[in-house]
Amino acid sequence: MNISGEHLVEAIKYLAAGIAMGLGAIGPAIGEGLAAAHALDGMARQPEMEGALLRTMIIGQAITESTGIYSLVVAIILLFVV
Amino acid sequence: MGQKLILKLELGPLVVSFDLITVAMSLVVSFILILIALWLRRAVPRDPEAPVSRRLAFLTGAFDFFHEQLLGGFSPELAKRLFPVITTLFLYVLFSNWISIVPKAESPTQNLNVTMGLALMVYVLSHYYAIRTKGARVHFRSYLEPYPFLLPMNMIGDFGRTLSHGFRLFGNIFGGAILTTIVLSLTAKVIAAMPFVAPFGFAFGVGLGTFLNAWFGVFIGAIQALVFALLASVYIRLMAT
Repeated sequence: MNISGEHLVEAIKYLAAGIAMGLGAIGPAIGEGLAAAHALDGMARQPEMEGALLRTMIIGQAITESTGIYSLVVAIILLFVV
Repeated sequence: MGQKLILKLELGPLVVSFDLITVAMSLVVSFILILIALWLRRAVPRDPEAPVSRRLAFLTGAFDFFHEQLLGGFSPELAKRLFPVITTLFLYVLFSNWISIVPKAESPTQNLNVTMGLALMVYVLSHYYAIRTKGARVHFRSYLEPYPFLLPMNMIGDFGRTLSHGFRLFGNIFGGAILTTIVLSLTAKVIAAMPFVAPFGFAFGVGLGTFLNAWFGVFIGAIQALVFALLASVYIRLMAT
């Protein structure tokens, strides 16, 4: 059985996409969970602030998410472009 | 996904290519929005004393919601000028995301060119409103703050913000579309390999497809549209005040 360079590239490509997505999802997940937890704390303490807290929480989570999105884009490029 | 219909136009030395499916889907979305707008417009009575109909109540409620959620911290006159822009952006992105629940239909927002175009439009608009409210001199001086040698940092900040604004919408919608396709085709293969579950296979596949489309198309689509419009309004507000 002989493995050529092309097969190696093909195999490592899928591995790399999986690692990029799996490791890249850890940070944003923890960050978004923290944001949601603290927003819930605030809402439980002051229910009348719910609307403003929810809006700010969504903005914060969207910005936290960008690193996860970058790793998703890297994974997509590895899968479909490389 | 997979096959694409590309139109290539050669204008002298540069070649411009259009993805015809994306163009067609985004025209369909605009057409749907125009139809809904005309239908809701007819609910507004000429006589202000007329009793409120259901459609009019819906229209007023929706406007109040957009005003409060999307343009919360704006000064009143800036909010009045920005309201049409931000609301149109929200509705366009929302319906672009939602149209993917129609079988065979592709959302325009799963094309990077569309989302980057929208993000660039927001970037140009933020400069426009900043110059209009503060004046060009004050606005461009703000790039030299707090220290003049931090100018490259400020410019990189602008660049990264616009880049991540476009990539966020694209990544969420495109990732959802890929996940839906992969999970459904894998399930079909698994079911085909097990003959004893085949009678329930079709019902299971329909249920799974409905759930995936409801989650990625309707729920994530609405959240991402809200996030896109909210971030657009926040970026413009940060520049303009």
